[in-house]
Amino acid sequence: MESPQNSVARTPSNSAIVQRRSKSKSYRQSYRSCLGAASRLGLTPGLTARRLNSSRRALKSQVITEKVNPEHLAILVKAEWQLSYVTPLYQFRHTQLKSYSRQLSAFIAAEKQQGLAVEVEGSQSSFRVSFSVVQGMAETDDDAETVLIQIFSKPMFAKQDEPQRSVWSGWLTCINGNPDYLHSLPKGFTCLPLFGSSGAEVLTSLVKSWFQQTFDCCFGCLEINQTSLQWLAALWTNCHTESSLKHLKMIWTIPVVPPLQVTYTVDPQDAWELWMSVRMDQLDKSEEEEEEQARNIDIEEVTRFMQGLKSHFYRHFRLDLSAGNLQQVSTALGSAKFSGKIKISSSRYIITTLALLTECALLKMPI
Amino acid sequence: MAATINLSDSERSSPNDQSVSSRSSNRSLRVAEKERRKNEAEDPFVLALKYFTDVEAGTPVYGNDDFERNLVLVEKVAYSKGLSPEAISVMLEFAMSLRMGSSPCVRVLKCLIPATVVPQEAVVRAVVWLGVGKIPISTQVLFIKWVLTVFDMIDTKDQLRAVYGFIFSYVTEENLCPFICHLLYLLTRKESVRVFRVRKLLELQSKLGRQPFLLHLLSLYKVFCPELVTLSIPSRMRSGFRNHISPWKSALIAVQKRNGLQVASSMSLAFTIKDKTNSRKRKHCHLEVPALRSVVNKEAQTEKCSSRKVVPLVQLHSFAQLLENMHHIELPAQMGSLLGSSLALQYLDCVQDESALLRLNFWLGYALHEEFLFCGDGGAIQNSEDALQFLNKLLSAHHFLQEGFSSSEAFLYKFLNVWDGSLLRPQILGLLSNIPVVPSSQIGRLLFEPLTQLFFTSSLFFKCGLVECLNNMLLKWLTWHSVYALEDDLDISLNSHTSINMTLSGFKDSVMELVNFVGQLASVGLQIEGCQSLLLSFVLDFYETVCDTFLKYGLPLVVMPPSGVFYPALFALDPVSVDRLAYIMHRYKVNLTSAKAQEKLTKQAFHISRQTFHEFNHYVVDMVSCLWNSKMFQPGMGVQLGEELLLKSKVPQYWTSFDLIHHPAFMSYAVDFHQKCWPGKKDMDLSSIKHSKPWSWYLEYLFTQGYDGLKQFVQSNISRQLTASDGQGDTQQR
Repeated sequence: MESPQNSVARTPSNSAIVQRRSKSKSYRQSYRSCLGAASRLGLTPGLTARRLNSSRRALKSQVITEKVNPEHLAILVKAEWQLSYVTPLYQFRHTQLKSYSRQLSAFIAAEKQQGLAVEVEGSQSSFRVSFSVVQGMAETDDDAETVLIQIFSKPMFAKQDEPQRSVWSGWLTCINGNPDYLHSLPKGFTCLPLFGSSGAEVLTSLVKSWFQQTFDCCFGCLEINQTSLQWLAALWTNCHTESSLKHLKMIWTIPVVPPLQVTYTVDPQDAWELWMSVRMDQLDKSEEEEEEQARNIDIEEVTRFMQGLKSHFYRHFRLDLSAGNLQQVSTALGSAKFSGKIKISSSRYIITTLALLTECALLKMPI
Repeated sequence: MAATINLSDSERSSPNDQSVSSRSSNRSLRVAEKERRKNEAEDPFVLALKYFTDVEAGTPVYGNDDFERNLVLVEKVAYSKGLSPEAISVMLEFAMSLRMGSSPCVRVLKCLIPATVVPQEAVVRAVVWLGVGKIPISTQVLFIKWVLTVFDMIDTKDQLRAVYGFIFSYVTEENLCPFICHLLYLLTRKESVRVFRVRKLLELQSKLGRQPFLLHLLSLYKVFCPELVTLSIPSRMRSGFRNHISPWKSALIAVQKRNGLQVASSMSLAFTIKDKTNSRKRKHCHLEVPALRSVVNKEAQTEKCSSRKVVPLVQLHSFAQLLENMHHIELPAQMGSLLGSSLALQYLDCVQDESALLRLNFWLGYALHEEFLFCGDGGAIQNSEDALQFLNKLLSAHHFLQEGFSSSEAFLYKFLNVWDGSLLRPQILGLLSNIPVVPSSQIGRLLFEPLTQLFFTSSLFFKCGLVECLNNMLLKWLTWHSVYALEDDLDISLNSHTSINMTLSGFKDSVMELVNFVGQLASVGLQIEGCQSLLLSFVLDFYETVCDTFLKYGLPLVVMPPSGVFYPALFALDPVSVDRLAYIMHRYKVNLTSAKAQEKLTKQAFHISRQTFHEFNHYVVDMVSCLWNSKMFQPGMGVQLGEELLLKSKVPQYWTSFDLIHHPAFMSYAVDFHQKCWPGKKDMDLSSIKHSKPWSWYLEYLFTQGYDGLKQFVQSNISRQLTASDGQGDTQQR
């Protein structure tokens, strides 16, 4: 993966920093080279081609309801989320969430009526924001706790006593983030690389710009690429025995004129059998380490699974789907779109799905 | 004479004056004339001031000739020379105390033209009178306008700031509010921003709607205490407060001109809002440099800086202020905003906080990646105008700091693999030349592989650009080395200065890799482009850097050019290239000799390999025998041709064909020289120049044409006393 030079440079060599500061002339080194200082951020993308893990554990069903507040869980499961990646937040404190709520609602009110200053403390604003920590989502000690943001507002023609409704929600999370990367960040940075939002686009962009101005971070589109979509298809299929898929639906677009869209729905049982046949080969090979291997899924298996599905399609319709782009995968357990929209329907698989997406988000980090 | 002019001056301004009738001004003219004749001995002005100091409350105005006479006198002085500080105090006190009612108030205020400064006490007292007396509201407005106009002439402002709260209380007065806000804007310090004041302004805002004066004051509050005010400023609004100089303008300018002062510059207050000239919606907003804002969540950082007073960067407007506050500047909320302001860039040079630089790099890396690598529309970059501006801004920051950012470096390593070599070429090559030293183990994969591909598939101009870029890169590396290696010359490793774990030998390896790489590119490139002289010129630029690494930059490394560069330059069709090659060879010699001398002197173990000396000597011998001794194509030379092939070419005396006379680059000079030397001679025999006398003349002639490189080469490599026989190239150094 990494060349030894990198790992030397990467170990947060505190002594080196101290030394550097003691020299008056050499401070500049801290931004001069990505082979030097900044590559303490481990995976300097220029040097080590970061890739998605080529092997990952199967989705394990977790009885997450015991760990996580069911109310929060209900919110996470309910909606379809538009994903973004976020660079590490500077000076974000989980203890300041109350104050952030106030600030963000004041910010939204101010932006809604440009040129009008609004009171930070005031609660008369038409938008109420709530920040909360979703306890129990973090998988390792390195993961920062997930943060849930909700915006409530009264509908335009609401009655006097009608309660405020949630009009927007979003979350920032980091599940099983690459420990090397997380460790390499200096103190003061909080890495919550995956951002999901659901609600009016206007509010999403307001929330984003508030975060940018407050925590000096950047938001970028996170699309779910082909490989990740294939991973999700395989991972979900792998769960079929535990909870039924109902269907495995995939949408391909074929680059022809006029554009052609193929919706390919597979019977869950057939998909499962195909998947098992792919898995069996692998399992046979490593009989002795069965315990270990049975849980891990390899990228090759995923590729072969997809190949199987494609060749089946070819046999029937004489159309090679490899020429097209996989746009969407959906099952009863969830759906994912290339454009970066994801819906996780079953709380049991939420953690492992988010871990995959966290990995995708970390890959997008500029440094 | 002067008096009458000034009087008419005052008359001209009186029509604006609502309270004074033209009749009374006519009368004042008469009275003034009389007065001047009568009281020549005593200073009437002093008496007039005394009158206004002593006049009792309740004295009637109408029909009061004393009053009229004295006021006219004061006006006369005011409009001609301006009023002294004392006079201002007296008159202001007289007017604001309403001792003779409110009617003379306006007239007095209009003539308060300061000659030098306005005493602060007078203004403070007047402000106090504002609260006591029953001054008509229009007069109150006039007074505040006057304060705003002369604000920069008020000697000090500490007492005025002390009554900030008092002044603030007038903000509720609807007619006064815009002017009070302006005054507060000028007086506000961080201490004056309080929650209850913010509340009051917000309350007013809800009553009056979005008024620009409230917005401006609030935005200043936001600069000082961002945690108290949440406000977004519409992009259209940028101008500051209006100025209210009009009632005094002509008089003030006239007085100041007479007194040789500059017009107070306070009149236009720059209100710093980000200049959004193009309001069109941008598709790619990530290329926008964020605005400079101060941090909102102060409490989050208090443990760090509670003990020190910090000044947000937003509040600094000049380099002097920056210097003054250098040690307690608070970084802005978004580090990326530093790129947008030249003042902030100055500061960035001194930022030592690693996380601050990391924040900047995150933002910069994000912007570059989003724009050039993640662009969704299949790589078609539509807004290249924005991208161009962004990169230019980044480049100028690089140039200012004299080095690049790590995120732009990391970005380039990726981008080179997908670059077509033409998109924003000057900018990308500019960024590339700022890349710091790359370890030799990585340099091939990161730089050379993508660059080789680009080089051989792109146009001549790209090739030239790339060679130039690599030359700049080498220059920067060498400069970096000379700066850091000199810092402590005891240690041969560069370790202590950099986070790059690089020893001197590691650095040498990297430089060698780079030089060899350019050598390879140049050899093949020159071949592909038919030894194009433009490309050759860029290559020779590069070797001008390379030949001087030891003497100029103290790097004990000498790398000779490959023959693919040497011979094309030697046989170039233009004399300039040959001259430059001669200069380069001369510098190589100087470097090698002094390296050798130093090696003997210090007995230090840096070692320039035999191979290098051998190569050098070989080149010099070739060059001398070809240019000087007319011994081309002899066995042992770098360029050899078969005997029968040479005979077949039927070139007579082919061995002379590249000497200084027959060399295609110098032939025209030889012809010219021949004509000058033997003007009458009909048949031209260039070989006759070869004789010892004309030969040395010919050389002199060439040197006067500006071929200094040749001159230096000849002087250092050829012993001239031997020229009498047939010239002898020397072969020194082993």
